[in-house]
Amino acid sequence: MDRNKISKWLKEPDKMSGKYSLWALYFCTGCGIIEVPPVLTSRWDAERFGVIPVATPRQANLFLITGYVSVKTLRAIIRSYEQMPEPKYVVGFGSCPINGGMYWDSYNTIKHLDKYIPVDGWIAGCPPRPEAIFVAVTHLWTLIDKGMAKGYVKYREKYELYRRNQEKVLGTLEWPPLFPIKDDGK
Amino acid sequence: MAKKEEILNVLKSFRDKGYDHLEMVSCVDRIKENKFEIVYILSSYGENETVILKTAISRENPQIPSAIPVFENAEPYERELHELFGIDFEGHPRLTPLLLERKYKIPPFRKDFDTRKYVKEVFDEIPFIEDKK
Ligand code: SF4
Repeated sequence: MDRNKISKWLKEPDKMSGKYSLWALYFCTGCGIIEVPPVLTSRWDAERFGVIPVATPRQANLFLITGYVSVKTLRAIIRSYEQMPEPKYVVGFGSCPINGGMYWDSYNTIKHLDKYIPVDGWIAGCPPRPEAIFVAVTHLWTLIDKGMAKGYVKYREKYELYRRNQEKVLGTLEWPPLFPIKDDGK
Repeated sequence: MAKKEEILNVLKSFRDKGYDHLEMVSCVDRIKENKFEIVYILSSYGENETVILKTAISRENPQIPSAIPVFENAEPYERELHELFGIDFEGHPRLTPLLLERKYKIPPFRKDFDTRKYVKEVFDEIPFIEDKK
């Protein structure tokens, strides 16, 4: 252990503990999920980086969106995301959630994931190599350290806008708002 | 090529000859000829052979008898075609949405559905959520 870091950790224990216990939600969408099993199992072993897969969103705090997001999947993604306890981080994996990727003119995939939920980091590629996940994870550590991975705070603050966008593409949402919506007459 | 009215009889005769597995029902949009081509793929376990049956129906009035009385497993395929091509299968018990979440004015797999225009009108119109400066 690096003794020089101890004083820093003692000052900000939440960051230190948040960094090294990323619990990734086992949520599969798109073709990028093919890359995730080798990452989690012995070949690349994500546990070295403190990333463990969990089965339910209520135990997770890292959400990997591993590919194109169809309109139907978006509904499931929003539901899962809202159930995750804070602090929570979202990483878009592959070019499809970034801007549509090869599905840029598809009738049924949403193109920009960050219009509907806040995203803390992106991994480009189609699909990215497993190593890219670790680059993303270490990058996420840096962001957490610097207090820049604040997507969940943004979600709380801009919830009306997010909800409005979600309703635009999904029609009615059958669950109540996560945060109170201020009625500003719009 | 079989006639639309006779498709059930043709399917039945093939089934009785041993082509007892309906692999899939599919559709081709022949927009220049103003026709939909419905494709039935049958196979036989005993003979290890595949038969492809085709029939054409008009694009204006896309109706065809459902194949469920002969092959029960046609149900999801026909539902899918109803959703993606807007074909009406007469006698199908539930032509409810199967895969899609949104409503489309033109069923999205028809050739005259303009996906780029649709993307521009729907997905590109949704605003980004800016960070606070
Ligand atoms: S980025 Fe490529 S690999 Fe990933 S979901 Fe899209 S098409 Fe599939």
